[in-house]
Amino acid sequence: MSAKNKSKNDIEILQEKLQSIKGREGIIGYILRGSNSASIDLKDPTKIIDYAVLSATSFEAGQDMSSMFEVDEVHTILLEGEGTKILSRVVNDHRLSIFMEKNVDHNKLSKDLNLA
Amino acid sequence: MNEDPYAVALKNALTEIKNICPDVSRSFIFAKDGTIVAGDSETDEKTMEKMIQSFQSVAEKADTIGSLKAFYVNGKKGKVIISNVNDMYLALVASKNVDTTYLHSVTHVIIPTVLKLLETITPTPIQSAPSKQLVVDTLSGFFIGDSVQIDTELLEEWAKLLNQKSVNQVDIEAFGGKATQCKVKEINEPKLKGKGMIRIPEKVCKTLEVKKGELVKVKPA
Repeated sequence: MSAKNKSKNDIEILQEKLQSIKGREGIIGYILRGSNSASIDLKDPTKIIDYAVLSATSFEAGQDMSSMFEVDEVHTILLEGEGTKILSRVVNDHRLSIFMEKNVDHNKLSKDLNLA
Repeated sequence: MNEDPYAVALKNALTEIKNICPDVSRSFIFAKDGTIVAGDSETDEKTMEKMIQSFQSVAEKADTIGSLKAFYVNGKKGKVIISNVNDMYLALVASKNVDTTYLHSVTHVIIPTVLKLLETITPTPIQSAPSKQLVVDTLSGFFIGDSVQIDTELLEEWAKLLNQKSVNQVDIEAFGGKATQCKVKEINEPKLKGKGMIRIPEKVCKTLEVKKGELVKVKPA
């Protein structure tokens, strides 16, 4: 399989896994953004824009801080609010942000998605 | 950076954190308005300012998840950890193997203890300014943004009291009990200057449940 096809296949597998975890207790939804397309699945569709902007800004801030403090390639970015948290990371050339309630074990979630 | 006793005590607390957790390579504390309160000698002020700017760009957009409590960047060679402690943020850079649970326990005991101690031994909190009662004027239109407007003189007076370059955010409390925090700018209309007014965007007026002509209590955030 070519590298491009493998990457496409990995993303399809990830999308299937995301579909399987979205019904779990505490999971609010996810945004998976590639260069030409995006998959968005959020329980509250009125928050799509707010969440998309927050996700994009946290990726930028994470990259900036990584260069400032020389922590090298960013594996994950975790953002915690009052009752919600966002786990973001780059998977192949896609940017994934998973939105969840604060009590969700994001480390376990990463393992379940094979992202750990 | 502040060099008052408050900042010196916090700087010492940061040094202690480094002694307890050698995995921590850099550390500094900043206020919600972005003012650097205390920092280690390894990190120059310009780097701190750049990091705070990046963090605030996220914080500004984090209303949808409640206020921003923590931001973690896990990198291949290390971690950047920013967490809310009392009314401030503590920024730490640590090695990739740092025990974050232990670090969290240490920092969230040491810093609040130092702050509490300082409040006890300092007759008046260093970072406070009296609130003012101002008359509400509403701002309307598409491009007004979220900032309120206050007289330049009052902003300068507060900045001087707080030993800051400027005041960028204020806490507004309505007499009905509703309160909010907003960015603040100077009143730009000459005929409205010097009248003890606060110009508030309509959206914020709704949040505070106040109308034009009513009084609100305002102080630097």
